Amino acid sequence: MTAPRGLLRLYKAGDAEAAGRVSLRVHTLHFTPRGGSGPGSAPESTRRSATHACPHRGFYARPMERSKPSQLGQKEQPRDRDDSGAGDAVLNGLFDGMVKKPGRPVAASQPQAPTAGVGESASRTTSAVMESWREERTRSLEDNQSSLPGLAAAYTTILRGLGEDPQRQGLLKTPWRAATAMQFFTKGYQEKIIDVLNDAIFDEDHDEMVIVKDIDMFSMCEHHLVPIFGRVHIGYLPNKRVLGLSKLARIVEIYSRRLQVQERLTKQIAVAITEALKPAGVGVVIEATHMCMVMRGVQKMNSKTVTSTMLGVFREDPKTRDEFLTLIRS
Amino acid sequence: MDYQQTSEINEICNGKVVTKHPNDLNEKGIREDEQQHREKVLKNLDDSTKLSCLESAYTSILRELGEDVGREGLLRTPLRAAKAMQFLTKGYHETTQDILNDAIFNENHDEMVIVKDIDLFSLCEHHLVPFFGKVHIAYIPNKKVVGLSKLARIVEIYSRRLQVQERLSKQIAKAITEVLEPAGVAVVVEAVHMCMVMRGVQKMNSKTVTSVMLGVFQEDPKTRKEFLALTRKN
Repeated sequence: MTAPRGLLRLYKAGDAEAAGRVSLRVHTLHFTPRGGSGPGSAPESTRRSATHACPHRGFYARPMERSKPSQLGQKEQPRDRDDSGAGDAVLNGLFDGMVKKPGRPVAASQPQAPTAGVGESASRTTSAVMESWREERTRSLEDNQSSLPGLAAAYTTILRGLGEDPQRQGLLKTPWRAATAMQFFTKGYQEKIIDVLNDAIFDEDHDEMVIVKDIDMFSMCEHHLVPIFGRVHIGYLPNKRVLGLSKLARIVEIYSRRLQVQERLTKQIAVAITEALKPAGVGVVIEATHMCMVMRGVQKMNSKTVTSTMLGVFREDPKTRDEFLTLIRS
Repeated sequence: MDYQQTSEINEICNGKVVTKHPNDLNEKGIREDEQQHREKVLKNLDDSTKLSCLESAYTSILRELGEDVGREGLLRTPLRAAKAMQFLTKGYHETTQDILNDAIFNENHDEMVIVKDIDLFSLCEHHLVPFFGKVHIAYIPNKKVVGLSKLARIVEIYSRRLQVQERLSKQIAKAITEVLEPAGVAVVVEAVHMCMVMRGVQKMNSKTVTSVMLGVFQEDPKTRKEFLALTRKN
């Protein structure tokens, strides 16, 4: 049994504390620190493992320095255990309907302060919705490599269960190809918004609507594991800060390459842009075809599903919303 | 044992093409379709076992991908995905004999009959990802015509499997040839492969077109030209 699976089981059981210990121990077995062991040079894996103890903790709440990285059997630093209520593995953001356990009530502090747990608890109580953009990367390339054999075995079982012969020429390497394909379709779990956005926020004195439309989107239906594809149209009214245009498309990629529900995807994109830019308003419209409806079930070929999220001035002012909807339609 | 039979139904036996006609007697001296019927009955007994097998495979896939199998949206996903996959490969359990038996008529018609823009949905056998598109079928009858929807049903049988587009086109053409013995058959399949669009090269607008021309469509260029002209998008 490889580490990542055990890790997730512990999260599910609500034992984030034990999960934290396991993650640190396991990652020290697999990875060695790169470039010495001074402050700030801890390998990405151990930094990540610290935050895995509490999925709700955001990037800024992570300890910025670790004086003793990668000690075998070393316990997590005490402050990392504060948010033990974050046992639910919210790997796909926070819109899965699960009831969040309230965190320890602490004095509100700057979310950017490098103190663990505090900022996040405060923000969780203020708005569970707004945190999701800061969620941590939950999968790594090493995790991908280690899960490949398990995935391939599962696909071989599926081929056999469907009545096919996994040994015939066309299907010989299919389990591996299907496993890598599925990992690609869920690569959004490997990426973080903050990595994508860090450099591309600019101060511009522009307060007119910015729209990026017809962004191709490919996702996977979380109910049937069948593709969803369509187009995303994003508009926002900047408030002194604008975003590199391709970064909007990258935000769409991160959230769409997951097991998704179209409503949740729309909201996650809108919330991510709001958190990053704090604009006057954001509007996101997604128009998609669901293969689960086209290829099976009701089998309606031409049906499309449209969802939209309007935040800020897009929600309050009908004229702004009208302008946005007209511009994306033209 | 079951899966060997299925791969033979898909006319593949480790790369060799195997043709079986349902009316052939097998080694036990029983008509092949009766044998298949018996096996079908036996197969139904362990369908639920197969489903739970598929379900547990999907559960482990979700886990390996890093998802939380206990969250609300994913609770029944393994079952739904297993049933969806069984639906998408239901062509393995159907034969042309099942659907065509009644709908072949004797008509004195020897002009081209075309059924075009038949929606097609299949699964790429290499990546288990859908590909979909349209099929255009034409045949020149030789005293026997077939009910039009049966052409679409033949497409369904062969497309609801793990397929390669080239083989799919050929199987449709061969099935119509065997059933109707017409003067010629033409099949053109135009499809978009999600394995190329969603991953890999990621070319959104690419389409793959394969065609099979048998009989007079192969020999006479004018006939082929007429067919292609009539099925072109205007």
